[in-house]
Amino acid sequence: MELTQVRYFVALSRLLNFTRAAEACNVSQPALTRAIQRLEDELGGPLVYRERNLTQLTELGRAMLPHLDAMLAAADNAAALAEARRRQPMASLKIGLGPGVGASAIAGAVREIATLMPDLMVRFEEAAAAMLVESMLSDMLDCAVLPADCALPERFNHWKLYEEGAVAVMPPQHRLANAASVTAADLNGEVLLHGERCGGFAQALYAACDGAFRLRRCDGGTGHMLDLVAAGLGIALLSERMAVPSPLVTCRLAEPPLSREVRLAAIAGRPQGPAVAGFIKLCRAGRGL
Amino acid sequence: MGLDEQLQAERDRRTADEAVRLAYEEVFTTLSTNGFLPSVLPEEATFPDFVLPDTEGRLVSLASRLARGPVLVQFFRGEWCPFCRLMLDALVGALPEIEAAGASLMALTPDIGPWAREAKRNHGAMFDVLSDVDCGVGLAAGVVFRIPPIYRARLMRAGIDFADRHDNGAEFLPIPAVFLLDADGRVAWRFVNVDFTRRAAPERILSALRRLTAPERE
Repeated sequence: MELTQVRYFVALSRLLNFTRAAEACNVSQPALTRAIQRLEDELGGPLVYRERNLTQLTELGRAMLPHLDAMLAAADNAAALAEARRRQPMASLKIGLGPGVGASAIAGAVREIATLMPDLMVRFEEAAAAMLVESMLSDMLDCAVLPADCALPERFNHWKLYEEGAVAVMPPQHRLANAASVTAADLNGEVLLHGERCGGFAQALYAACDGAFRLRRCDGGTGHMLDLVAAGLGIALLSERMAVPSPLVTCRLAEPPLSREVRLAAIAGRPQGPAVAGFIKLCRAGRGL
Repeated sequence: MGLDEQLQAERDRRTADEAVRLAYEEVFTTLSTNGFLPSVLPEEATFPDFVLPDTEGRLVSLASRLARGPVLVQFFRGEWCPFCRLMLDALVGALPEIEAAGASLMALTPDIGPWAREAKRNHGAMFDVLSDVDCGVGLAAGVVFRIPPIYRARLMRAGIDFADRHDNGAEFLPIPAVFLLDADGRVAWRFVNVDFTRRAAPERILSALRRLTAPERE
């Protein structure tokens, strides 16, 4: 496949008109038609119906379009990042973080974009999944990192980033602080702090077993909840990827493991600058890092 | 045994199974007759500059490697491919000589994350292994094709899940072409073959590299 063939096909699929697609691509119509024919030869069938007044995508055309569009965007982004490396334009990254999702797993990707574009401005928004979806739809956010069980509208793309387990967070003097890992039974008699932003691990544990522990509701920022943990009000169950300030200690929850999948989501087909597209590419390539 | 002999032995072993032979033939025949080859970036053309993520989560640019001298851009299919594994071993063996000639090697695969890291680790590759996510650079170089149906069915039966490995459902692969770029990024030499069981042996790559870097004769 050739870059120009794919570019012409994607333009034609948007405009559904050979003349206007040729104009948009700045080529003659016969050149565009020939390129599309060559792409059809290669993909093994017609991509468009050519009728006198009507240009429509065939089933093959419709099936191939999202993949060809993504490949074209990837080609353009690889070149745009190279251009950005030379010119160092202003850029921004607005990233949503779902409940209990820390930024540590994506911080390396942000660093790489900032190294390429030193004037990069970064903004994080921590909120419930539905709010983040709204923010992306209204263009307030470029993308969001969300647990896989959050519902996404159809027009969103999403990519698996990692699986994560839970850790129990406690003060250093806690009786379990030196354990290599803990189980639900070890938490008998403890108070578990939980809130809207801690990722639902405590409720999941409560639902998964008849642990003899108490849940204490504590909404608001995770940092404030950890202040309460430090003051001895209870144990927090958080993602193992969440950075925890010292002197608090973390202890892996071994049984039940309570693992969840976390993914990156962005609106399909929305034009993205090199910083955003590059960030998404880094996150995808770095899966499991 | 040189790379060519190893590849030949692997090919003979695998195509002893008639179904495999037919699946391979499907790829070779399709790509030789459907107008694929003229799309591949020719010699003398400038290889488009790119930035891609490596296996450590860092961005690597072609321009930064060209600043040091000539660059070999090697496309490979992935660690799942036995011919790619043989080729990567051969490239690892040839790397000291490639570097001694002042050149860098960048190996690009559509595989992401754990699979690209596996390739780097299994071969102890000290060169750049980059994830060409969604085959964008492969498209710019004209080396990407849609996997034809019989071969695709064969790979699926073998448990190769491209949707997971490539992080998309496109089922595209690059031919394992290699481009030798001069310090200006122009293609000085290339090896292009639709038969993925045939690769550029290190001797051929090194001799092309020496032709490029040798001082001009009087």
